[in-house]
Parts: sequence; C-alpha cells; structure tokens
Amino acid sequence: MTNTASPSKRLKTPNDSPLKILFLAPLGLWLAVLFLLPLAFLLWIGFWRVENFQAVPAFSFGNYAEIFASFFSKSRYGLALVQSLWVAITTAAVATILSYLVALSIAFAVPGRWQRLALLLAVAPFWSSYVLRLYSWQTILSRNGVINSVLKQVGLSDYRIDIIYTQIATRIGLIHYLAPILIVILYVSILAIDKVLIEAARELGCTRWQAFTRVILPLSRFGLMTAASFAVIVSLGDALSGNLLGGGAGASIIGKLPTYASMIMSDYSSSTNLPRTSALATILIAVMVLALAFGFVATDRAHRRTS
Amino acid sequence: MISAPYRRNPWILAGGLWLGLAYAFMFLPLVVLVLFSFQKNRFPGFPLQGFTLQWYDKLFSDGTLLKALGNTMVVSPAAATVATVIAFFAAYAFNRFTFRGKTTFLALVTLPILIPPLILGVGFLGLLARLHLSGTLFAVFLTHVVLITAPALAIIQLRLAQMPAALEEAAWDLGATEWQAVTKVVLPFALPGIFGAWLLAFTFSFDEFIIAWFVSGFQPTLPVAIYSVLVAAIDPSLNAIGTIVFGISCLVLIGLELVLLPLLVGRPDNQS
Repeated sequence: MTNTASPSKRLKTPNDSPLKILFLAPLGLWLAVLFLLPLAFLLWIGFWRVENFQAVPAFSFGNYAEIFASFFSKSRYGLALVQSLWVAITTAAVATILSYLVALSIAFAVPGRWQRLALLLAVAPFWSSYVLRLYSWQTILSRNGVINSVLKQVGLSDYRIDIIYTQIATRIGLIHYLAPILIVILYVSILAIDKVLIEAARELGCTRWQAFTRVILPLSRFGLMTAASFAVIVSLGDALSGNLLGGGAGASIIGKLPTYASMIMSDYSSSTNLPRTSALATILIAVMVLALAFGFVATDRAHRRTS
Repeated sequence: MISAPYRRNPWILAGGLWLGLAYAFMFLPLVVLVLFSFQKNRFPGFPLQGFTLQWYDKLFSDGTLLKALGNTMVVSPAAATVATVIAFFAAYAFNRFTFRGKTTFLALVTLPILIPPLILGVGFLGLLARLHLSGTLFAVFLTHVVLITAPALAIIQLRLAQMPAALEEAAWDLGATEWQAVTKVVLPFALPGIFGAWLLAFTFSFDEFIIAWFVSGFQPTLPVAIYSVLVAAIDPSLNAIGTIVFGISCLVLIGLELVLLPLLVGRPDNQS
C-alpha cells in the first residue's frame, strides 16, 4: 500500500491544492464514522447492562465479571479460547508450509511464461463463495459422503474417514480458504528475491538444497512471517469453518469444544445480549494483540540470532 | 530464470507433482459442487445416479435463495461503486500530495481488513442498532464499504504509481485546471486499475458473511441465506446455487485476470 512514488520525482507538483483535503475527506469521514466509531462503541458497550432484554448504557464490569467467573467452568469461554488458539496456530503452521511449497513450485518448477497461469489457477478457488466451499467439504467429508462412498466402491469399506465434526475438518476448511491468499503472499516474496544471489550460490558450488536453505529460505522469512500471522488472525476470527465442518463443538485433542469465534456467534444468536457479546469480542481483540506481539518478539529474536 | 538443464531434475519433478496435488485439493470442492448439482442423489455420494435438473427447478420455484441473491446483487455493486469512488479520490491524493500523518492515515485505511470481520460485525451492530439502522440492506451497504475500500485503494494506488508525474504536469502547462487534469489525464490512465478495484471490491462484498449475518436481519445477503439453509438441513439446491455463483465468479475472475494480475505480478515477459 505504501509504494507511492518517491518525493524527489514529484518536486514539481504543487502540494497546496484544495483537492488535497477534498479528495481525502470522503475516506476520512467514512472511516471515522463507520470504522473507528463502531470499534469505540464495541469497547464501550462491553460495559453496558441488560435490563428487560434491552441494552442500557452504564459503566459496570458486570459482563467481564460474569464471563471470567465461568471462564473454565459452566460456559467454558476460556476453554473455547484455548481451543481457538490451538486450532489457529496449528492451522497457520500447516497452511503456511503447504502454501510455501506451492509458491516455490510455481516459482522454480514452472517455466516462466506459464507462471502467471499457474498462479491464477492456485488463486481461482478464492473467488468462489466460502460458505459454499464449506458446504462442499461437508459433502466430501461426511460419513456417507464423497470420500467414504468412493472407498466403499473400490472395496475398502473397512476404511472410512471419520473427521467430519472434528476440528481437523475445521482446519481443512480453513486451509482451503487461506491457501490462495498465502500462496500469493509467498509467491510475491519469493519473486522479490534477487535471482543473481541464487545463481551466484549455485556457481560457487552450492547444491540446490544448500541454495534453498542458505539463500531462498532466509530471504523469504519476512513473507513467511507475514503469511503465518495473517493465517493466525484469520483462523482466530473465523466462525464459519468451525460451525459447518467442526459442527460447532468439534472434537479435538483438547476435547469437544467450539472455537471462540463460533462461541461468540452462538452466544449472540441464543441470547442477543449485545453487551456480553461485545465483551467477548473485546477479549478476542486482546488475545489477538497479545498473539501478534508474541509473534513479533519471537521473530525479532530469531532474526537477531541468525544475523 | 528456468533454463533447459533444469528439465530432468528430481526437485523440479517433485515440485510439479506437489503442484498437481495442490490443484486437486483446491478444485475438489468446486468440482463436487458442480457435479452434484446435476445428480439425482439426495445425499451426494458415489455411485452417481444420473443427470437431473430438479435441484435447479427446486431452487427457482422456492425462491428464498434467489431473493437473497437479488439482495446481494443490489448491495454488492452499490458498495463496490461507492468504495471505488472513495478509493480513487484518496489514492490520487496519497499519490500526489505529501502531508503529515500520511503513513498513519494509510495504516488506518488498511486496518479494517486486518481486524477480523467477526469483531467488526459486533461493533457495527452495536452502533447501527443505536441508530435504528440494523437489520436493513442499507446497513450491510454502509459496513461493506468500509471493508472493501482498502483493497480497492491498494489496486488503484498500484496503477497510479505507474503514472509518470510529467503526464499531469504537461496538462497543467497546457492550461488545464487541476480538476481537468484529474478527469482528462489521471482518470483515463487509472481506468484499468479502477475497473480491477471495482471487481475486487465487488467479490469481497459478494462473499462477505459474518458482518452481513450480524447486521442484515430479515434481509439476508446470499451467504447468510445459504448459511441458514445449511444449518437446517441437507439441500441439494445449494449445489445448484453454488454452480450459479461459481459461474458469476468465473466471469469476475476472467475480468480480474485481464486487468488485475498484469498490474500485480508484471507481464510474464519481463520476469524471465
């Protein structure tokens, strides 16, 4: 977004013009009224109370107290949060590695003039509806669905895949959703690597594997981190895959628990208690900021150790 | 970049194989969707039971999903258009002017796509309910514009960054007012970017689910309507609407391929 032309090229452009404010005003206004204001409202409503099924302006920590009081017991918001983090981090790791291999394959195994087509094919599924893709995965993974009926047809009826309504199915849906975006991010970051460096490494006697581990991999670190944190944020915030493929409370190592995003959605649709929903969403924001900060510190450390 | 001796290399082979697997994974749901929209099976599975159009028939006679598609086809083009106009003005200003707080402003624009739609959805609902706007298509329109302006802005900026500054300066020297320079020089130059931005914004809005789920009420957009059918029962007409939506997406995708990708990755000939 920040690739505006360098100021030296634009010295001759008059900088004081009524157009400056006029052209930025619509965006500024829209953002202030319909982005910053709702976010501020979200934080504020978390402190409201509910009387006679109506949200009433107030300032009390009642919602937070209620949420934290049953954090791990009755309503188990805390366990859902742990489930979410577990699903999001593993999904992000798997999705990033798989997409990185795809991006590498496009960049190095596909001849130059076919690369754009290869990239386009990889991105194409992104333009079909996410809800419908999840529905399709349901029919593929379900007990008598596509995979299991194929297994039966070829005489392997002893084997059946039973992952629908588990968090593994949730992850499959998420990876399918994330992959096109991650592939683009990673492909662009591989493309940005100076080819001369790779050629130099090869000419100095590196094997392909060494050229990969010592040149390509370190230089795509930034792309990998961007992709992974993007994947974590999206997975944490997504409720659809968990609801449709995980069946709400999907089985997982941690237990039969929904993800936090699913829980926010079902909590709202069952109670329409907007103050409590807002408080739950605020907690999600806090967790995301923490996760991002943690990721940032971790990469910063890794970066310093290698350089 | 890729030269002849690469050909019979095991790494290249493995890469090709992996790519094949990846494509199979990516396209499997789409193939299944289209295949079973024409199949007699109530519960999709093998063996196949023959060709039918009954699910399309059911879809068109039932009408709920089509009505939702209609809702979406009103909201998404409107939101995309407003977002693209706002984005063009802002992109021009960002591209041409320097001012204090530019980086902060740009970061602020990007924020709506980084914050999970779930959180935004709750926030929008809180505000719009106070303004008695929630539960309407207008609410979906208002909120979608925020969400899709950033990608549109990014695309148009990409295009404007390719414009030589001299082009506009020449127009001023020849006596054009600033506004005339914008409409007669900058706008035509940016047109492919604007078109790409509109398509991208449209698809983002077309597929957005969770914000619409929170704010649309009894006027659901298509993804919301599909979701409510989905949680209720298995209904093969979803395959039919899926195939139709997929058709629309293909059209958008072809448009994007012609306009957007050349901007993003450069032409194939200057890569090698």
